[in-house]
Amino acid sequence: MAPRLKINGLSKFFPGVRALDDVSMSVEAGEIRALLGENGAGKSTLGKIVAGVYSRDQGTVLVDGAEIGTLDEKAAGDLGIGIVHQEGSLVPQLSVAENIFAGRQPTQWLGQVNVRAMREQAKALIAQLGVAIDPALKVSVLSPAQAQIVEIAKALSRDLRVLILDEPTAALTLTETGKLFDVVRRLAGNGVSVIYVSHRLAEIFSLCHSVTVLKDGRLAGTRQVAETSTDELIRLMVGRDVHFSRSATGRKIGEIVLEAQDLDAPPLVRSASIIVRAGEIVCLAGLIGSGRSEFCEAIFGARRRHGGQIRIGGTAIDPKGPWDGKHAGIGMVPEDRKAAGLFLGMDIVNNVAATVLSRVSSGANFSNRKAEALARNFVDELRIATPSVRQIVGNLSGGNQQKVLLAKWLAMEPRLLIVDEPTRGVDVGARSEIYRLLRALADKGVALLVVSSDLPEVLALADRIVVMAEGRTVGELPGDGASEEQVLRLATRYTASVAEVRKQPDMAEA
Amino acid sequence: MQITQPLAETAERRRENLFVRIVRRLADSRELTLFVLVVVLALAMSIVYPNNFPTASNMRAVLLNLAPVGMLVCGMMLLMIGGTFDLSVGSTLAFSGVWAGVVAGWWGWSAEIAVLIGILVGALCGLVNGLIVTRIGINALIATLGTLTIYRSLTYVTAGTGVTPISDAFAEYGRAADPLFRIQSPFWAMLVLVLVGGWLVARTRFFRQFYFIGGNPRAAQLSGIRVDRLILIGFVIMGALAGLAGVLGAARLNSAVVNAGVGIELKVITATVLGGASLKGGEGTILGGILGVLFIALIENAMIINAIGVFWQGLVVGLVLLFAVSLDRFKTSGRA
Repeated sequence: MAPRLKINGLSKFFPGVRALDDVSMSVEAGEIRALLGENGAGKSTLGKIVAGVYSRDQGTVLVDGAEIGTLDEKAAGDLGIGIVHQEGSLVPQLSVAENIFAGRQPTQWLGQVNVRAMREQAKALIAQLGVAIDPALKVSVLSPAQAQIVEIAKALSRDLRVLILDEPTAALTLTETGKLFDVVRRLAGNGVSVIYVSHRLAEIFSLCHSVTVLKDGRLAGTRQVAETSTDELIRLMVGRDVHFSRSATGRKIGEIVLEAQDLDAPPLVRSASIIVRAGEIVCLAGLIGSGRSEFCEAIFGARRRHGGQIRIGGTAIDPKGPWDGKHAGIGMVPEDRKAAGLFLGMDIVNNVAATVLSRVSSGANFSNRKAEALARNFVDELRIATPSVRQIVGNLSGGNQQKVLLAKWLAMEPRLLIVDEPTRGVDVGARSEIYRLLRALADKGVALLVVSSDLPEVLALADRIVVMAEGRTVGELPGDGASEEQVLRLATRYTASVAEVRKQPDMAEA
Repeated sequence: MQITQPLAETAERRRENLFVRIVRRLADSRELTLFVLVVVLALAMSIVYPNNFPTASNMRAVLLNLAPVGMLVCGMMLLMIGGTFDLSVGSTLAFSGVWAGVVAGWWGWSAEIAVLIGILVGALCGLVNGLIVTRIGINALIATLGTLTIYRSLTYVTAGTGVTPISDAFAEYGRAADPLFRIQSPFWAMLVLVLVGGWLVARTRFFRQFYFIGGNPRAAQLSGIRVDRLILIGFVIMGALAGLAGVLGAARLNSAVVNAGVGIELKVITATVLGGASLKGGEGTILGGILGVLFIALIENAMIINAIGVFWQGLVVGLVLLFAVSLDRFKTSGRA
């Protein structure tokens, strides 16, 4: 029998880049195939070509043995190829049902949308995935995980043969990820072929049957998951061995830089405290929604604070906005680098200069010369791969964007640098470079507060680990010798006890 | 398949003919595109109508007529770089002119104070716009659409049918002309604004912050830029410029007309977008904006001289606008 999906010699060119070069692979019905590779390796491009979002420049695509000519989004839909995009394709203002049947709503007389039939069909589709979401709800009120499920239901609303998932767990918590995996396994059990694009090796080992690795747009190899190892996959991705080991630097830890006490910023932060010393890397761990980012924002002044004290170097501060935090010597690299961090349409020079406009000026005049010199320094120091400092930041790869974002905050020479998810969406190679940079900063005496959901990252980086749960700082571990289990136990135990208290509100009141 | 990418690219470059290269070059700089269009249009008009177009009186009329739009474009460009805009400028202009008229004409105060009050009224209108947008958080389109009708209505309430005549001393502010070219003061005021404003926006770090705000307001905020405060200042500057344009307009006619500046906001925004601003913000220059104004003024003048008729004017301006903006698709440095 012919494979469900067969790709032969696929190539795709973008101006100046060969995104895919002679890639071939084949996927059987019911197979879950991971597509792995560094950022810019071409895995998303491959997914988008199969889903008809991009056209191919060379090569053939066969579905169930039949060669496909033009493959655009409509043709792909008719063939039963569905894609769940990284960015999401739902309209938040419309209902779940409306989104699932976008443009193909069941109608009654005079072309009116048959709302009742639409909702019933939507409900049935969602039920097939083993979950319950009210189809009348607006998408804007759903959690990211529920929205993912709706996206899948949308793909499922047509006779689905191939489902492409592009980094589906980026915004999901652990439990939600588990639920999503159940849905994916159920689909595969029904004979749907799944192409699963991801960075996360652990997910691939727990979910997928086989894995295809791309490197620089070329096929680096295909393996059965049962017959491969993390080390082998990383080797295939980067062409070298990479270790995230703790470096025993014997760093000198100095005086207290940040002391935050009983910070209160409802609804997500209630009584959180932390101390960070010069030359120390403190990682803030916790489950998604535990208030870590919000705690940091409150320290920086980007979130309104209702109570608590903040001291920087012993002096109390009361930041009313990010400018106050900056003035006190705090830098904050936000979690969402595209939406909140970078000026994607501007070049590296301007991005780096954004926090230090007065330093790159002579009097009132903005000095292009000074700004360029500053940017050039950082491009060299952080090894940002770019043809020139005038490159538009939106054109850089994820890892290099992250470095530009770091450079933007290093430029102001902060005493305390808060880094929220330093390596989200960054490939393995750039990841270890960012770790090197953060350690080098701490060596120079900068106090570092790092928020991370990636436990191996926390364990590799932290001198001290502070765990948050339900908006409170609930525990602390030394970075050396801590285990993932210890961190998770702290992060979840508190949640469980709060849940118990909530079950009996009367008693809690009393 | 065997050719490496850079080689293939050069080969492709070579195949591009001259026309494509010119288009790319023009697409990269809106200022250059407009400059070429303005020169070509002026040369063509000079050759075809040597007796009507390149005359001192015609030039004087063109430059004087574009003055109010030119002043407003400076403020509008600043706002649009910051990712916002102001639709109420025409009403602000009339309201300010009328107040200057009331102060000088009805109350008989000195002309200097009248000019000052007119500009202050404009700045105040801008302040209100800015507060509505930044403090209450109403979208600029809706906020200034609201104040557009409010300010116009307040203009009627203040002066009924207008103030005519105002006073000779006041009129002098709009009529004084230089001895050499004999162009009246509104043009010179505009010229100074364009030169000073052009330098401020292009070169100073204070105004440079608007590019960051327009580029990504959240990132700008988190970079420690006081986004709301700057946008508020932008609106106040816009209002003050509209006030100045209104005062000088009223002075030139020695009459504060309640219908002054009706529809001027769209002319201003057209010139601003033609000059390289984007509705998303983050791009544009004052130089581009003023070239946009100049180009539209020349088109209008050409239409009047060759008697094609005023009715066709909008068609031509609209087509040129769409053409200029579609050139962006050929930008070499643009994002994919």
